Amino acid sequence: MTVLLELREKLKMVYGRYEAFILPIVKFLLALLVLLTINGRMGYMKLLDSHLEITLIAALTCSFLPTGGIIFFAAVFSLLHMYALSLEVALVGFFLYLVMFLLFFRFAPGDSLVVVLTPLLCALRLPYVVPVAMGLLGTPASAVTVGCGVVVYFLLQVVVGNATTIGTLGDEEATAKLRLIVDGLMKNREMMVMVAAFAVTVIVVYLIRRMSVDYAWTIAMIAGVMTDLVILLVGDLLYDTHMSVGWAILGAVLTLICAKVIEFFRFCVDYSRTEKVQFEDDEYYYYVKAVPKMSVSAPTKTVKKINSQRKIGNTGRISGVPGAAGSAGGTRNAAGGARGAADRSYGSREREYGAERVPGTGRTSGASGRSGGVSGAVGSAGGTRNAAGGARGAADRSYGSRERDYGGSRGSRYGGRNVTASSRPDDSEDDYEELF
Amino acid sequence: MLNEERILLMTKMASYESGEGKKNMRIGKYFRSDYIAIQVLKSVVCATISFGLVFALFIVYDFEKFMQDLYAMDLIAFARKVLIYYIVTVVVYGAACYGICSYRYSKAKKSLKCYYQNLKKLHSLYSEQ
Repeated sequence: MTVLLELREKLKMVYGRYEAFILPIVKFLLALLVLLTINGRMGYMKLLDSHLEITLIAALTCSFLPTGGIIFFAAVFSLLHMYALSLEVALVGFFLYLVMFLLFFRFAPGDSLVVVLTPLLCALRLPYVVPVAMGLLGTPASAVTVGCGVVVYFLLQVVVGNATTIGTLGDEEATAKLRLIVDGLMKNREMMVMVAAFAVTVIVVYLIRRMSVDYAWTIAMIAGVMTDLVILLVGDLLYDTHMSVGWAILGAVLTLICAKVIEFFRFCVDYSRTEKVQFEDDEYYYYVKAVPKMSVSAPTKTVKKINSQRKIGNTGRISGVPGAAGSAGGTRNAAGGARGAADRSYGSREREYGAERVPGTGRTSGASGRSGGVSGAVGSAGGTRNAAGGARGAADRSYGSRERDYGGSRGSRYGGRNVTASSRPDDSEDDYEELF
Repeated sequence: MLNEERILLMTKMASYESGEGKKNMRIGKYFRSDYIAIQVLKSVVCATISFGLVFALFIVYDFEKFMQDLYAMDLIAFARKVLIYYIVTVVVYGAACYGICSYRYSKAKKSLKCYYQNLKKLHSLYSEQ
């Protein structure tokens, strides 16, 4: 679970950083998928079907338009295909889209993308995902939008299903074509059952997930899927809607998986750490149930600067001790001599390990500190450490900095690399040992 | 640690922060009567257009029969019937719109008022820490 939570945090971080690029790409891909599905399913207008560049241009346009752009282009593409089939069919489609736009979308403009996603997922045999997802993420008003999406799907289905018949009818039989489509919609019991099932599902899921019970979201999604299945099966028994039970069960399982993914990203809480508090003000008593969110902070280690290795000759030899060195802020010598008078800062937000040595600032003869009589005396300001050391001097230690510098001079004669790594504040100094 | 007073504030603000903030700001710019009148007017226009489209579809659906019966039927009675359907449609839709908009306006105003008060209070609580 921790790995998943870290992954989620990383995804959030990446999305936050590259939102300006990710969002248009997602819109482009969604628009492309929708338009290609429409072309693939209908494909009566050869100009649209054979010229992929038109679809690509439309999808690219959608990428920088609001989400309504996808709906607009999807409607235009479907109407053009209908027009290529028959003017009357296109007329019915246009009227239907217009009525839906005028009467329903103005009350739920935020959910308008659902009108596109519902037919798309119905075509991919995943129709139950939309009502459950909208119940989890939306409001009861989303039931209207989901219903509109189902109507759009069945409109396209009726057109595709009657395309051969419509093609055989001549121009003089305009009303017959129109009647075929209108009857196909108005007398479509499968559509009615599905609209009712989806609307009820959205409301059931919404009501349950708002309840103050543990695992409300999980209960809501299971209840929603079961409600959906039961209504569809009852509808199948009553009206003989030719529902495939196998696909329905498979779709239900996939819906639960999708819903769990949504829950993970939107409502990931730890019920085992639930706290219940009670308090009052002048007007009310409050019974608050606080459920902590599951979250971990994504580990970040950023290499800020890597200096090329360079040789330093005859530095810091003081009082016959070769390689005396001084550094500012937490110098560490892998092979060192004296640990001199040093300012050591542990736990400070900024540490430097093995920074550049400054000759002559290390241990001086007779100075405070312990002389080891070996090469590599080190004096530093702020967090000096010698792995093999000689003199450990009076140290001025300061704890609590966040950024640490690693590297720098290794040993007594070489100015090595400086690597600055920012880390979490709770990391101990030992976490960085392995870097050397 | 849970801060009871902050939880109280955040509980009150939760309903507002459910994604309706921007919409409420837009609604809050109008007086109640102005907002509802504009919305109902829009609804009447939308309902009229929709009714016209559906009626046109109804005529075209059985156009031949309609044309055959046109000279025999009582046009006044037919027009009255259509008018009654139209009025019922517009009134029902307009009433639904009125109810929805009244509810939305009062909710938006109340939540905006609470929101601003609570924001101030929350800010002061954070400043105290």
